[in-house]
Formats: sequence, C-alpha cells, structure tokens
Amino acid sequence: MEYVIGIFLILTFFGLAWYCVKGHNLMIGFLIMSVLWGILPLVGTLFVSQAFIDANPILQFGAGTDVTLMNNIVRIFQASSEGWGPILVNVLWGAWFGRVMMETGIASTIIRKTVELGGDKPMITIALLNIVVAGIFTTMMGAGPVISIGVIVLPILMSLGIPKALALFTFVGSVSAGMFINPVLQGQIRGFFPGIGELEGFTQFLTSNFSLYAIAITVITVTVMSGIYLKFSRKSHAWAAQTGGAQVQQNAPFYTLILPVVPVILHIWLGFPVIAGFITAGFAGLFLCGKMGGGFKNSCQLVNKMYFDGVVDTAPLIGFLLVLPMFNTAANFASPYFSAVIGPIMPTSETTVLILFAIVMGMGLFRGPMTLFGCGAATLGVLLNVGDFSVPFLLVAFSIPTIIANIGSCITQSWNAWGLAYTKVESKDFLKYSIPFLYVAGILLFILAAFTVTGLGPEWFL
Amino acid sequence: MIEDRKAGEGYANQLSARLFGKQSAYLPHREPVNIRPVGEMVRALCGLDDGEWTEYAFSREPLNGRFNKAERHKLMQQAIDCGRQIAEECISQYGASGPLTIAKALGLNVDYPRQPQDGGRVLFAEFCPPGDINIFMDAIDKAHELLSEPGVREALGAIHIPDVLLAHELFHYMEDIRAKEIWTKTYKIELWGIGPLRNRSKIVVLSEIAAMAFCKRLNDLPYSPYVMDAFLVYGYSADNATRLYLEMMTFADKTPGTSTTPKEGREPM
Repeated sequence: MEYVIGIFLILTFFGLAWYCVKGHNLMIGFLIMSVLWGILPLVGTLFVSQAFIDANPILQFGAGTDVTLMNNIVRIFQASSEGWGPILVNVLWGAWFGRVMMETGIASTIIRKTVELGGDKPMITIALLNIVVAGIFTTMMGAGPVISIGVIVLPILMSLGIPKALALFTFVGSVSAGMFINPVLQGQIRGFFPGIGELEGFTQFLTSNFSLYAIAITVITVTVMSGIYLKFSRKSHAWAAQTGGAQVQQNAPFYTLILPVVPVILHIWLGFPVIAGFITAGFAGLFLCGKMGGGFKNSCQLVNKMYFDGVVDTAPLIGFLLVLPMFNTAANFASPYFSAVIGPIMPTSETTVLILFAIVMGMGLFRGPMTLFGCGAATLGVLLNVGDFSVPFLLVAFSIPTIIANIGSCITQSWNAWGLAYTKVESKDFLKYSIPFLYVAGILLFILAAFTVTGLGPEWFL
Repeated sequence: MIEDRKAGEGYANQLSARLFGKQSAYLPHREPVNIRPVGEMVRALCGLDDGEWTEYAFSREPLNGRFNKAERHKLMQQAIDCGRQIAEECISQYGASGPLTIAKALGLNVDYPRQPQDGGRVLFAEFCPPGDINIFMDAIDKAHELLSEPGVREALGAIHIPDVLLAHELFHYMEDIRAKEIWTKTYKIELWGIGPLRNRSKIVVLSEIAAMAFCKRLNDLPYSPYVMDAFLVYGYSADNATRLYLEMMTFADKTPGTSTTPKEGREPM
C-alpha cells in the first residue's frame, strides 16, 4: 500500500508542477499541497504494513507512543510556520533596505556610473553590469528591488542593440549570482535545515569555501554565455516608449555607493547581525543622501512608507514563506512513501548525488523536485532518509539548482515573469538562453562543490 | 480620516492582490496622477519645438551623466541636422513618395505583426539588420481609436502612423549601411583612458534623435515624432501616458495642462 500512496504523492507533485507552470499563486498551491501531503501519509498509516511503520519513526503516533495525531497536525500547520518567524523578519528588513537603496538613488547611481564606464560596447557593458548587479543583490532582495534595477538596466542593454531576450537573460542571471551570499535568501534556504545554527562558524566556512567562488563562477558563466549568444544573434533597434519611473537621474554621493554591500560584509566577516546591518546601512544611506532633512515627523513618515512599500514588494514571498514550512514539514511525513518508491534508485554517496543532480538540474525549473522553493523539500526529505550527508554538502547541493535553475532561469520566478512582460520576450526565447546556462553553470558549481564540501568531518553533521 | 481609511483600503487591496494574485508581472506601487485628456495632451506636446525635446531625449541616454545642458543642446542640434540631411538625400533620390515606397525601393522587408503589449514598456517598431523592419500594429490600432477623441485629429493633422514608425526605422537602416561615414555612428566621446588604452564610445541617443528628425522631414510633420511616445502609450494606459506627458513637459520646462478625465476603463498596465 505504501507504494500506491507513494505513487499518488508523486502524481500530486506533477500536479503542482503543472499548477506552477500555469502561473497560479504559489502560496495557495503550496497550501493545498501541504494539506494533501499532510493528510495522505498520516491517514495512510491505517493501510500500510506494520513493518513499514516500524522502519519509519516519523509515522509512529497514537496508542503506544508519546505522539498524538494532534501533535503531528500542530507540527505541520502551526509550529512549522511559527518556526519561520525569524526568516520572515529578515525578509521584511531586507525589503525595507532594498527600498532605501532605491529611493536614495544609490542603486541607480551605481548602475549609471557602471554604464558610463562601458559606453556603447555591449560586451564591456554586459560584463561590468553583471558584476555590479551581482554585487547589489548580495544584499538586496525581492521583486521590488529587482524590478527597480531592471527598469534601468534592461532599456540600457536594449539601447545598445542587445536582443531583448538576451538582455533579460544576462540581467536575471547576474541577479541570481548575488543570491549565493544574500543573507535573506540564505536564511530561507537554511530554514530547511533545522538546527543549522548549532554549527559553529557555518557562515564563514560556507562563504570562504563555496559561496564567493560560486558568485564568481556564475557571473563569469552568464557573461561568457551572453557573449557567445550575442555573437550569434541578430541585433535590433527598437522604438519603444519606456514608462515606470526609470528616468530619475539624481546621483547619490559617491561615498554612499559602497552601502549596498555593507550589511553582507558586516554579517559575513564581522558576525554582525543581518538586521542590524540593514538598519545601519539603511539609515546611513538616508542621512548621507539627505533624505532625513525634512524634520523628525517627515523622516518618520518616509521610513514608514519605505517599510510599507517593501512589504508590498515582498508580499508573494511572505505569503509563500508562511506556507512553505508547512509543506516542508508535511514532506517529512511523505518522505518514507517517496523512499519506498524511489529510494532504491536514490544515490547514497556524495559523488553520485552531485553527478545525478547535475544531470537533472533542469528539474529545478517550474518549481520541480530540484528547487527548495518548489517540490525540492520532498527530495531533501528522501535524501535525508536514505543517506548520511553533511549539512554543508546538502545545503550546497540544493542551493545550486534552487538559485541557478529556479531564481536565475525559471519563468515562474516573480521578477523573471515581470521581465518577460516588460521586455516583450516569449518564454521559449528566454528559456533557449537560460536552460543551457543552468546546465553549464550548474555543472561547474557541482564540480566546485565536489572539491570544497565533500568528505567533511563529523563537526558538520547534525 | 476618510483619506486615511481610503489609503488603508488601497494598501490592503494591493497587499492582498500581491499575496493571493497570480504569479504574474508586477509593477511597483506609484503615486496616483490625474489622468489628462488625450486631446489636450497631444496638443501640448505638438506645441514643443525640437530643442524642447532635448532633456527628454537624453533622459534615455545611458551616458547622459557625461553631459551638461549646453552640450546636450549642441548634440541635439547636430543630430537633428544629420537626420534632416539624410532625409533630404532620400527625397532627392526617391522623391517625396513616402517611407514605404522608399523602403521597397531599398529592398527592405517590412512586416506588420500585431505583438500585443503590456508591462511598462510599449514597443512600436524595430529594425533588425540587415533589412527587416517590424511595425507593431497593436499599438497603432489602439491609437487609431483615439484619433476621434476631441482635439486629437486637430493636433496631429493628417497623420499615417505606420509611415511615421517606418520612417524612423528606415533611418536606422540608412545608418547601418553608412556606418563608417554617418555622423551619428562616427561621433564618439572618450569615457576613460589608462596609458595608451582608451575607451571611446558612441552616443546611442544621437541615432534616435536623428531618426526622429529624419522621420519628421520624410512625413512632413510640423511637430516632433517624440509625441508618439505618449500618444501610442495612451491606447494601453492613460495613466502611463499621462506620466510620460508630465515627464516630457517637465523636461521641456513647460507647465502641463491641469484638466483631468475619468479613466474610462483604460487602466494602468
């Protein structure tokens, strides 16, 4: 019976993939999945063999155990969401910080100054912008900041004759590069690994052994591939009207241009709290750019407004993050059933995992089983069931497809969907660029992972 | 109090749309503007002379920060002269027979796809080297409906919008085949230099300004074709068009008209 339930759960996963591809709301989709993946495994215990239940402690509840059915329901629908509170708070402060960087003109000034170095040479401009955009998004996060930067970067790239699909590809690819050390995104990914905070020096270890190299590899890959694509694509000159407030040309003072990366520098190298970093750099930006000069009351209103706007910017992410932990917890209950069906073919060695993940990278698209912001939570659950892997290894193995395939290459990512509409690019034209990129970058990053986060000592196991 | 409550409701609606809406295109919140009647908008924009479009045109230039106001005006005039000169050459060679006839004589492939639009950027036309021009009819069809609005026809005159767009793209073709000699492609500024290494760059917007001047002459328009930027957007979003109009008037140091119109179903994109 466990096989039947396992197969049904797999079918629901394909249903979710279809739902995501159709562009429906992820929060509601994952809520439905949480209910399905919560109910089916628990009700399924009435029908599966006793041996199966004995082999999977997570399915043991009711008479003769310390766990009640209500305990499990609380675990899925209450404790899980509550447990993600700290991550949500980081997201909200990150959204506020992103708004500050935009409203002060700091982020747009960085972009304009960068473009002024590159001039009309598309490849130089692409390379410089990719580096700068990746740098900016090591701290800024959410659809609002990406769109605010996108309405500056994309018209510039297109005005240089770069095809619109290529302009979008190179921009969102470089956004994804910054995510490897973005504290807000990393906080979300680490939420999938309860107890990770107990690992002493984890952030510094990951940053110096993997994340910084990953950023460099991603930026270089997206730039080189953009160059190759550009060489073989047709240039175009378009007459288009650009609306959306990209025309503000006020430059921020040069000494404020370092502020976007200050929170991440403070956090990674000095162990400074992320939120304190956002507050420090955010208020420094507001004061140094003269935004706090309108009296105490006006300054309060400005700070408040940026917070309001930031919350709207990140609302889908917040909604998603309220439900995702339910799904993750439900996936823990579902993973024994997945193990029954696909466990025999799941790899148990680190090298095999990396090779297999490189091959199936494409399944990180459309919220598939290779992205943690999709069905990957279940894959993670299965892997934890069948093998013994270190935390840095698992986090890196899942971060690569989550960041490269989902965030950098997929049309279901909110800001990528915006970019398609803004540039009038067909999904298939964008995917023609992004799918080869996700494989090339993914393979390079998995090779990096093989050298840096495999064979780790017991101190990295939970 | 009422205003606070309305603002609160607006915020709540926005938040719930973001939370529960489709995972689709999203534009950040903007402060509302009073939507202007299309006739008044077009009349005001048609009244701007070529020089008054300088700041608006350069606001789309990636290297805009490199120039002061006087330099921008000088470059604007040079680009306009270049566009006019090429137009005169075309007219003397092919006669005043219209852009489509010239395009056909040059062997260009002119296509008229629909290309529905949304988002914050409306695409009117494009030139794809070596010889393809696409005129996107969706924007034009929407604009044709606006021609019957009060004051629009009077301001724009007997205009054939596809020809306006085609003429603009025709200039880019001219630039492409004369890249080594035409001013818009040969004029460069030095961005930086390290020893013998120099980065010299063209100024992209000069091509656009010259294309507008070329288009204006070829279509015998009494106003700048930049008017189309706001007019063609109006068919999609009166809100976005009004924002563009206000931006254009501000750049031209003019006071925009203050009359407003109900949205009439043309919602912001």
